[in-house]
Amino acid sequence: MAAPPNQARRRGALSPDILFDVLLRFPAKELCRLRAVCRAWFSLTTDPLFVRAHAARHRSPLLVARFRADDGEVHVHVVDLSGTTVKRIAGAGSDHQLLCTNLDLACLATRWNTCLVLDPATAATHALPRYPVLGDPNREELYKPATYFAFGRAPATGEYKVLRMFNRPEPYSGDTDQLLDMFTISGSGNAQWRVMSRDFFVEARSAVVVGGAVYFLMNGVYFPKKRATVNSGIPPDYVASLDIETEEWRRELQGPISGSLDTNDADDRKEYISLWYQLALGELKGSLVLANHRGCQFVLDLWFLIDFEKGLWVKEYSIETESIVQSPSDEYLMKPLLVLGDGRLVIYTELTGRLLICDPETDTCTFVEMRQLDSIAIYTGSLLSLPRE
Amino acid sequence: MASAGSGDEKAAAAAMITLISSDNEKFEVTEATATLSQTIRHMIEDGCTDGGVPLPNVTSKILARVIEYCKKHATAAAGEEGSSSSFSDAAFLEVDRAFLEELEEFDDAFLEVDRATLFDLILAANYLDIKGLLNLTCQKVADSVKGKTPEQIREMYNIVNDLTPEEEAEIRRETQWAFE
Repeated sequence: MAAPPNQARRRGALSPDILFDVLLRFPAKELCRLRAVCRAWFSLTTDPLFVRAHAARHRSPLLVARFRADDGEVHVHVVDLSGTTVKRIAGAGSDHQLLCTNLDLACLATRWNTCLVLDPATAATHALPRYPVLGDPNREELYKPATYFAFGRAPATGEYKVLRMFNRPEPYSGDTDQLLDMFTISGSGNAQWRVMSRDFFVEARSAVVVGGAVYFLMNGVYFPKKRATVNSGIPPDYVASLDIETEEWRRELQGPISGSLDTNDADDRKEYISLWYQLALGELKGSLVLANHRGCQFVLDLWFLIDFEKGLWVKEYSIETESIVQSPSDEYLMKPLLVLGDGRLVIYTELTGRLLICDPETDTCTFVEMRQLDSIAIYTGSLLSLPRE
Repeated sequence: MASAGSGDEKAAAAAMITLISSDNEKFEVTEATATLSQTIRHMIEDGCTDGGVPLPNVTSKILARVIEYCKKHATAAAGEEGSSSSFSDAAFLEVDRAFLEELEEFDDAFLEVDRATLFDLILAANYLDIKGLLNLTCQKVADSVKGKTPEQIREMYNIVNDLTPEEEAEIRRETQWAFE
């Protein structure tokens, strides 16, 4: 609500025009405190035009984080890159882990089939139904299923969707099987899980969403040494992807690494085998990135997928990690999260739960000072947002 | 020579812009000073400054202050440009630092105005699109609000709390996290 005109024109009064310019300068947390001043201040700081202008001005990234040892009540923290908590959000069961998303919503899930979507701005949560697809005996009689989830947004429709993956032990064969369902987050209460086809046994933990597709590395069942019965010929840097919009599998991609390794050469063979352990997927600058941390050489290679149709990969970064990695076995999984405005990279070391900021110009890396992370996501929304309709 | 003299005068006159305040006072300023305002810069580019630039939203009192700010900052900008080629790096940095210090002192003194004038300067800076002046003046107001409670802010700026107790309680509940 705008102030009455006579008030707006009174000299020496904080008119809406002045307020807009002044309040834009405050961080979101301070602004939320100022909402209780009066109706005009509340209206202005919740106005979508103001929220957009504020977001354009305050561009330093925010992350959503869970810490490994959270004292007492378990919280989701919105943190900045200095490691400072901007907002603590109570709730979310103690065993939920954040999916590594890059959205204005966060998603938390457990291995035993619970999943909820969280709006960090309002702290509202939406729990997904646990019940599997109705009438499907495979999903109704799951014995100790291990569930994994991926959360993304379809670019054309703007729909948020959750992909659920059951890794299902087969008691008789000693084998495992994988089932996939998709769920659309919507206002209506009768939404259902939908059965998805599966073309590959994907490594569910590797899932990353980039521009409307979920990308996966291949599951270790294709690793020839581990499973003598499977000699699939699928290399470790093979990438599968699923279109979130159409819910169909896309053409699979050959990775950029294994093809150049000679399996008759002893060193190359070792490198080939270790690829099964040291690859991670991420998103940087809107591209899919395959991160290969060659732990023994203390080098992190970041391969960008430049052209999906042509399957073209370009190695844009090769980062020295010797200064920060004590033992390669501690830090073999490195997930790239962000490129900052000044060109520095933010990388998550999954095993030790730390954030690393690397400057490719000077080849220096520093850890962000904060408690050990359990899981992390990037938050692209505004903490000024009001509840959605 | 007479002809050369009149040519110089002509060039100097061409680089001058006339600004006209809401109370019809005329201010002659150099183009360099005037173009700190993006609004005026665009008018000059569009060639519609002949006969002066009317600024119906800005009083002569405020316009005089705005011009004072722009003159100082335009000189500083010109000084930086000029010095970069004629000094060694170290000397350049020295000059640069002296400039910045002087400019900071100027800005601090410039902000020593009453509240009504400060708000008028913000409105003028917004209307004339003078980024540096808008930043300077808004930051001054922002600093006065920073860290204050809603009650303190209401008192400071004579704001009537028109929220019902229920609405205020609801807002405080929703923004509880920001008070932690």
